[in-house]
Amino acid sequence: MEGEAMRRGRLVTRLGLALSLLVALVVAAGCGGDDDDGDSGDTTAAAEEGPITIGAAVDQTDLMQFFDGPALAAAQIEAEQINAEGGVDGRDIEFEVEDTRLEPARTKSVAEDMIAGGADVLWVTCDVDWATPSIQEGINAGVLTVAPCIGTDQMGPKRFGDAGQLAYSFGNVAQDEGAALAELASDKGWKSANVVTDESIAYTQNACQAFKLRFEELGGEIASDETFTEGDGTINSVVNRVNGSDADMIAICATTQEDLPAFVSGVRGGGNETPIAGPWSIDGAFWLPKDPQVSNNIYVITYASIYGDDPNPDVRKLIAEMKKQGAEPATGGFVTGAAALQGIVEAIEENGGSTDGEALASTVEGFDGLDTISGSVSFSPDFHTAFGREYRVIEIKNGEPRFTGLIKAGEPVSFD
Amino acid sequence: MNVLQTLIDGVALGAVYALVAVGLALIFGVMRLINFAHGELITAGGYTLALASAWPKAAAIALTVVVCVVLAWAMERIAFRRLRNVAPATTLVATFAVAFTLQAVWLIAFGPQGESADVLSGLNQTAVSGELSIRWITIVMLITGGLLLAGTILLLNRTTIGLQMRAAATDFRAARLLGVRADTVISVAFVIAGVMAAAVAVLLTVQRPLVTPTFGLQVTILALVGVVVGGMDRLWTATLGGFAIGFATSVLGEALPSDQRVFLPSAVFLLVIVVLLLRPGGLFAPRGAGGVERV
Repeated sequence: MEGEAMRRGRLVTRLGLALSLLVALVVAAGCGGDDDDGDSGDTTAAAEEGPITIGAAVDQTDLMQFFDGPALAAAQIEAEQINAEGGVDGRDIEFEVEDTRLEPARTKSVAEDMIAGGADVLWVTCDVDWATPSIQEGINAGVLTVAPCIGTDQMGPKRFGDAGQLAYSFGNVAQDEGAALAELASDKGWKSANVVTDESIAYTQNACQAFKLRFEELGGEIASDETFTEGDGTINSVVNRVNGSDADMIAICATTQEDLPAFVSGVRGGGNETPIAGPWSIDGAFWLPKDPQVSNNIYVITYASIYGDDPNPDVRKLIAEMKKQGAEPATGGFVTGAAALQGIVEAIEENGGSTDGEALASTVEGFDGLDTISGSVSFSPDFHTAFGREYRVIEIKNGEPRFTGLIKAGEPVSFD
Repeated sequence: MNVLQTLIDGVALGAVYALVAVGLALIFGVMRLINFAHGELITAGGYTLALASAWPKAAAIALTVVVCVVLAWAMERIAFRRLRNVAPATTLVATFAVAFTLQAVWLIAFGPQGESADVLSGLNQTAVSGELSIRWITIVMLITGGLLLAGTILLLNRTTIGLQMRAAATDFRAARLLGVRADTVISVAFVIAGVMAAAVAVLLTVQRPLVTPTFGLQVTILALVGVVVGGMDRLWTATLGGFAIGFATSVLGEALPSDQRVFLPSAVFLLVIVVLLLRPGGLFAPRGAGGVERV
């Protein structure tokens, strides 16, 4: 009997250790990234006849479809419009789309096949970790590699070394977005802030870090600085701490997963009516708690207003077209797809129709206030992810989001 | 932060994990099956609450219980019953298959962004303020956890079906020879697991009103770890293990400095490994215990 108990004990120990290891691996996989630097590859010869092919290796199945899908839909509508107007120097734009399913091996092979098939530009998923296998294929093949809405400074040489010269994102770099959020807070007259950061992704960390730096530069005071990691079960502790700290505002950099509505519900449930403000990552009405008293006094800065009141008629027209196609956007991030295509087209035109990767990359890096449907965007050797946009300020009042104005960062924050 | 506040929050979270642990341990007790698909019952409950947000609250909760119970019963009837006599590894893989299939169903049906639920959201309001800040949901978690656990104990100890479940858990073959109807016992275990999952879904959606395809997954994985840590051969040790993992998560989360909180999962699982190395039979299993109660 004792032997049986010991055997069972060992079995239970092994099972427990295996479970712990499994969970640790899952955590590591979620947090980890691919640090491989891409080597600079050969430059492909420009194919200057026939259509311009953009190979889109995007997620159409898993969690990133929420971001990739609307951006791609917007880009395809923009492409149809450009083609209808005669194309780019007479050449049509064609998207070749493949589903990566967020599987790293498939992400790599899809990109590889697209490049082998003659893609002129590679279009990748909106998260640099998930997109890395395809980005490396693109930049190593000397192809301009563009993400519509990656929001960190990792899309470029900082992560991919010299070959990263060919990698760009038309999303907002978090250093710019966090700075704009601080400018908004300052404009509102808020002098102190409780800051809450979701540490699970670099974008939210960087956005709140930028917020804090710019907010303090503008004379603001950080009353408390709380962190959590999405799903770690500590959000209620964060709520208690924030509710126990007086400040003029709460800045939260989180994603629209389960902890964000939990935080808002907890804060408002505690009778705390302090304004809550956050970057694009909290855009959208789908996550808002349904109680209008809870979803109140919340501010979001984003690319575009999806609530029918965006100040740009082209944006409203694009949303209407997307609705017609059954692809109604859930956040303002969709517009980055159209903006990215406009940027690619501008670069090709500036290079006389050439799709040579290095030439296009050099042109994109030099964009300074390029006018796009999402406003003017700039790039620099430091930031291959866009900055300089005028952000839409969305206020959520009694559960109803509405556009209330524009805000610009001036210049992005530097972490150096 | 007030120590009492930390303890109260920890006990409340522990109560929720204990309810998940009961669902897991009951199934393991009567079937020797580690049901990884238990989290999908919770997710199904969450989506039901989201879709029934406009209904009267009692009706929405009743529907949630029905959905969770029917899904639990269907899991056993369709997926697990025919595998009852195969190797444990096969049934374990079957539970993974059911879990992943249901996650895909949630993803296709509701999308990755989630559905907002609004049932009993008023419970997020503060019940006690001042030095202590206690929300109504914390109190409800404690009461619900206590009542359901007490109800389970009564069912197991004071009813015929409870007696049969305990007998089946101790020696399934001998129990069948003595007239215990295996199908009934196992079905009842799944029904109870469904009720527990529904309760957890209601409690979680009050605090976390956005239901995503992985809504019930994380709490189930952690509770399962708790079950193993506590000692999965007995219902009470497994339940205490579930409670302990929830309590430890809450207390450690509170104790760690804000900039160190990212290490919380590492700290919790380091603790788990240490406990398993020191007490391989389970943290709460009696020392030198030979016999096995299981439920």
